[in-house]
Amino acid sequence: MITQMKVRGLMFDPYNNAYIVILRDEDQSEMLPIWVGKAEASAISFALETVATPRPMTHDLLKSMLEAVDAKVISVVINDMKDNTYFSRIHLLYEDSEYSIDSRPSDAIALALRTNAPIFASEDVIRRQASEELDQWLENLKPEDFGKYES
Amino acid sequence: MASSEQTSDLVQLKVHGVIADPNTDTRIVILKEGDSDNVMLPIWIGTAEGQAIEWALGDTVLQRPMSHDLIRSVAEHLEMKIKRVVVTDVRNNTYYASIYLESRGVERVIDSRPSDAIALALRAKAPIYVTQDVLKRRASGNTELWLDRLDTKNLGKYEV
Repeated sequence: MITQMKVRGLMFDPYNNAYIVILRDEDQSEMLPIWVGKAEASAISFALETVATPRPMTHDLLKSMLEAVDAKVISVVINDMKDNTYFSRIHLLYEDSEYSIDSRPSDAIALALRTNAPIFASEDVIRRQASEELDQWLENLKPEDFGKYES
Repeated sequence: MASSEQTSDLVQLKVHGVIADPNTDTRIVILKEGDSDNVMLPIWIGTAEGQAIEWALGDTVLQRPMSHDLIRSVAEHLEMKIKRVVVTDVRNNTYYASIYLESRGVERVIDSRPSDAIALALRAKAPIYVTQDVLKRRASGNTELWLDRLDTKNLGKYEV
């Protein structure tokens, strides 16, 4: 079972010197925090803010390559988690065939936002990452810590 | 090479390395013609792109695919062959590059930043070219001298 998620926040985590992408489902009942690096956070941020950079950035390049051959991004799915690492797959449609490509969630999300493709997470992943510790930490975050990103 | 290309206009360069710019928090990718110090082209790039190039140079295999590994993986899955990349122009402190792909026998040209093009070319083992025009306007003839000048504050404009 997979649940459609949207990017609801992007914030800096000073403890890990990294960025966190907050995914939530439609009802805002499920939440998935994904830690990403600075470059990926920028890529995601630009897409969320629909900032057009003067030159194509890395994920814009990926998007143009797909457009050049008329390949479509059907969806991205965060489908697994092992040793604190999330795994995801990018589903493409190219010449009537479907392809499923291994990817980091950060890259998948950066691409999905640029192509208006839906982002999904498997129930299994959502369930597994929810731990008491994490919930407590997140409960301490104030609403203003989250960006106002709607996508 | 496509028949429309003037091959004599292009010079093949190799990636000599990536260095950190002591004056800013950015990187510089050094392209050179062969092993000689005669032709050297420095292009300022971002830290992430510099890292991507360094990983490719070192043949570093990471646990998870990074952004340029993903691009390469997508190209492989969709049977897009990366034939070559060309640094085509420089204007207003910005370098321009093109990535030449072949897909189903048809050549496609994709606009790109040189950093992404180089990071991808290294992974795809595709040759990197620069136009004679860009070399004429921007190449340095003396690597040592250029590197020495880099440490001083009298630096020319950053071109990325």
